[in-house]
Amino acid sequence: MAISAWGEEAVSEFRKHPGMAVVMLLISLFLLLFLVIPVVQVVFAAFLDTNTGGFTLLHFKDFFNTALFRESFWNSIYVGLMAVVVASAFAMPLAYFTSRFEFKGAVIIQSLGIIPLIMPPFVGAVAMLMLFGRNGSINLLLDQSFGFTIPFMEGLNGVIFVQSIHYFPFILINLSAALQNIDRSMEESAQNLGCSGLRLYRRIVLPLAMPGYVAGASLVFLKVFDDLGTPLLLNVNNMLAPQAYLRIASIGIKDPMGYVISVILVVIALGSMWLAMLSLKGKDYATVQKGGGGLAKRRMRPWEKFFAWIIVLLIMGLVLAPHLGLSLLSFGTIWSYSVFPDAFTFKHFSTIFAETPEYMTNTVLYSALAATIDVILGTAIAYIVLRTKLIGRQWLDYIAMAAVAIPGLVIGIGYLRTFYGIQVPWLENQPLATWWMAIVVALAVRRLPYALRACTAALQQVSVSLEESAENLGAGKLSTVRRIVVPLMAGGILAGFVTSFATAAVELGMTLMLVSKNSDGPLSYGIYVYMQSAAGRGPGAALGIVAVVVVGLCTLLSFVFVDRRQKKLGMGQAN
Amino acid sequence: MNNNTSHDSTANSAVSVKFRDINLSFGKTHVLKGINLHIEPGELFAFLGPSGCGKTTLLRLLAGFESAQTGQVLIGDKEVSYLPPWQRNLGMVFQSYALWPHMTIRKNVAFGLEERNVPRNEINDRTDETLELVGLLELAERRPSQLSGGQQQRVALARTIVIEPQVLLLDEPLSNLDAKLRIQMRHELLDLQRKLSITTIFVTHDQEEANTIADRIALMKDGVIQQVGTPVELYDKPVNRFVADFLGTANFIEGKLEKSGDGWLFNTDNNVVIPVENHSDDLNTNACSLVFRPQNIVVSIAADENRDDMVHFQGIVRGKEFLGSTIRYRLVVGGKAIFADITHQQGNRLIENGTTVTLGIDRNQMIVVSD
Repeated sequence: MAISAWGEEAVSEFRKHPGMAVVMLLISLFLLLFLVIPVVQVVFAAFLDTNTGGFTLLHFKDFFNTALFRESFWNSIYVGLMAVVVASAFAMPLAYFTSRFEFKGAVIIQSLGIIPLIMPPFVGAVAMLMLFGRNGSINLLLDQSFGFTIPFMEGLNGVIFVQSIHYFPFILINLSAALQNIDRSMEESAQNLGCSGLRLYRRIVLPLAMPGYVAGASLVFLKVFDDLGTPLLLNVNNMLAPQAYLRIASIGIKDPMGYVISVILVVIALGSMWLAMLSLKGKDYATVQKGGGGLAKRRMRPWEKFFAWIIVLLIMGLVLAPHLGLSLLSFGTIWSYSVFPDAFTFKHFSTIFAETPEYMTNTVLYSALAATIDVILGTAIAYIVLRTKLIGRQWLDYIAMAAVAIPGLVIGIGYLRTFYGIQVPWLENQPLATWWMAIVVALAVRRLPYALRACTAALQQVSVSLEESAENLGAGKLSTVRRIVVPLMAGGILAGFVTSFATAAVELGMTLMLVSKNSDGPLSYGIYVYMQSAAGRGPGAALGIVAVVVVGLCTLLSFVFVDRRQKKLGMGQAN
Repeated sequence: MNNNTSHDSTANSAVSVKFRDINLSFGKTHVLKGINLHIEPGELFAFLGPSGCGKTTLLRLLAGFESAQTGQVLIGDKEVSYLPPWQRNLGMVFQSYALWPHMTIRKNVAFGLEERNVPRNEINDRTDETLELVGLLELAERRPSQLSGGQQQRVALARTIVIEPQVLLLDEPLSNLDAKLRIQMRHELLDLQRKLSITTIFVTHDQEEANTIADRIALMKDGVIQQVGTPVELYDKPVNRFVADFLGTANFIEGKLEKSGDGWLFNTDNNVVIPVENHSDDLNTNACSLVFRPQNIVVSIAADENRDDMVHFQGIVRGKEFLGSTIRYRLVVGGKAIFADITHQQGNRLIENGTTVTLGIDRNQMIVVSD
């Protein structure tokens, strides 16, 4: 009875949305082919006995019996955790200042929350080496004036330093939002009952802001743990991701260790997300009632203001350091054992535009295609999940979102494993895995979660009755989607497109695996290739500047567009 | 693409709406239980009930946004149970108005005509005409967010009637308006409905709204239609305690009903016997209530009046509320709270709390209903 009723519902739902059911099937196939199968292939290979073809744990045993791998494993965990600690040290005071005080620096803090994100960490890594390295500007100055140096960039320190500067905005944004969302009455009722000062912070404010902090911190850990580009560019190879890359790059795709490391990366990534969710279970406080947002703010005392400004300026200096270093590097002639480059030139920019324009055109082409695929899939999945009751729609969402937890490196390895043996039919000697369209598809799969979240949020804001009234007035499903749903989602779709585009433009881990010849490489690949030699650092930095400008401009444009659109729909003037 | 709708043929003749044996569940929740209802052509009909009673679901079922597990929906004599919403040619005004924020008022109103592939110049004419009708022609180029609540409501209405629907559906049409505007819009709605003489169904939880404009009301509770009738029928001849209680204020005394010769006797739970004239059909005589309204009670301080057609009780005043036109006394009669309304005249003295008074109720004003 129950089962037949369930079946009946499934059938009636299918009859209601036959078109959507077909779309759902196509998307499922796409995700199966380009996400699930490659990842499963990786897992499969990690447990495959290469001689007998049977199941084996031998590769994992080998992994933990090899001193280098054990060291890499602990190094990766250590770097991830330390990056969270250092990033928290940056983010917490900033969040505290903006939430607690009337602080003029709040605008600066807000922009501090965005600036690092528009430059991928590996781009700034070499620049940071020039500024903070053993013979970098800062240590040269310190040595000259005080006779000592600080090992900012030695080994793992460098990775931690660069990553935490890049990723602390995740904690800042989440924590600030959480603090902003605490209803003032929460604080006032505690004060009314006799609780104040630090005690109030410990007992009321921090517990309420915890979910935001944990969400940000787990994201930082995940990103740092999976990152390949930064350690590679800093020449730190005794971590997991570089080890996987080096094994595949030097020994080949038959070597099981690359797969074993991939599996470990995925398991730890999923594990950290799961731990974060577990610690937040039942703590998703929605405390904002009508009217009141944020804690009561007071003005700073002079000495408080003084310290606050010092901290803010210090962090701002650190945040801008990669940008500054990269600019110096891209405009400098020779920069070695000196505080600043010897002279300045536009040569590096003319080099990249003359010799390797394909890096830039490829980036625009790949990212635009990937982002287009993403918003189309994102809109379709959001619609299926929110507006139909088709069986399995939630799974579509979960699988698409799961790409968040899969490092780009792993997807790259999975594509090599799955599609290397398949030839592109109309091209001679071109394995599917390293064809440029495969890079586009891989980028699309990897950035789909961003677009999907944006589209889902956009659709959630479109009231169902707006669609129902269109249907009621005679518009069919397709017409309703075209004339009502998509126009109303436009802002969110654009935001999704830009996020996908901007992050796809600077993806390195996966492109390193899939690019087989320089002419197919995008910006991130080009930067990596250039940065391999001391002579290439100038042009590499110039490419980095191009990447930052492209990503920054896109972000700005979408902000402006979305803002204007909101005003137009919300409270625009007549005509 | 929607030329298969039948709006051209039925534009000027109002149609009936019938629900037959409707059962509808959301998962395990049985939302509509055996609904049978016949709405006459041209009627202004209200679905009334507390929230969660299924009234909006019933309206949405008619509009095609829900589908029932059993039963049929007929518009005119045509079964529409399997037609999608866009082929039903019903005009629905949503509670939130659901105006499209990315379109101007004119675009909003023209939308349904465009979907019907009406020629462009006819679209323009009909849009203008309808905007004129609701008095918003000069605001046609604005966006919905630039209009007040009342104006938005008129746009929603204009957008709906411009397609000349067979039936007009209104979901809590006045709930988003402030009290003054609500009364004004109520009358405008009624005028418009009479002018267009179109079968109209509206959903409301506000009994006053239903009473003032509906020709007939279906009062619902827990997915079941409790009673269908004109507002006066529902008020004067409620079929059960819920109906009596939902419409206006009512006093209840629980007990049993017994036959005695030609008449009936009502035996209260604390053994007072009251002869009664009226009772509803299908009554469970062992568990029923005697109902009378506060305004039908005569309160007197002296215990001298003793008329045959009146039933008398002794009560003690426990509290009073000044309502302007009347004073509502809360009295205790035999351990039960009873409300009695007395018309207020300037200069009248209020009865003090604790005073023992005599209550007289005309037997014709009492009715026995099921619990």
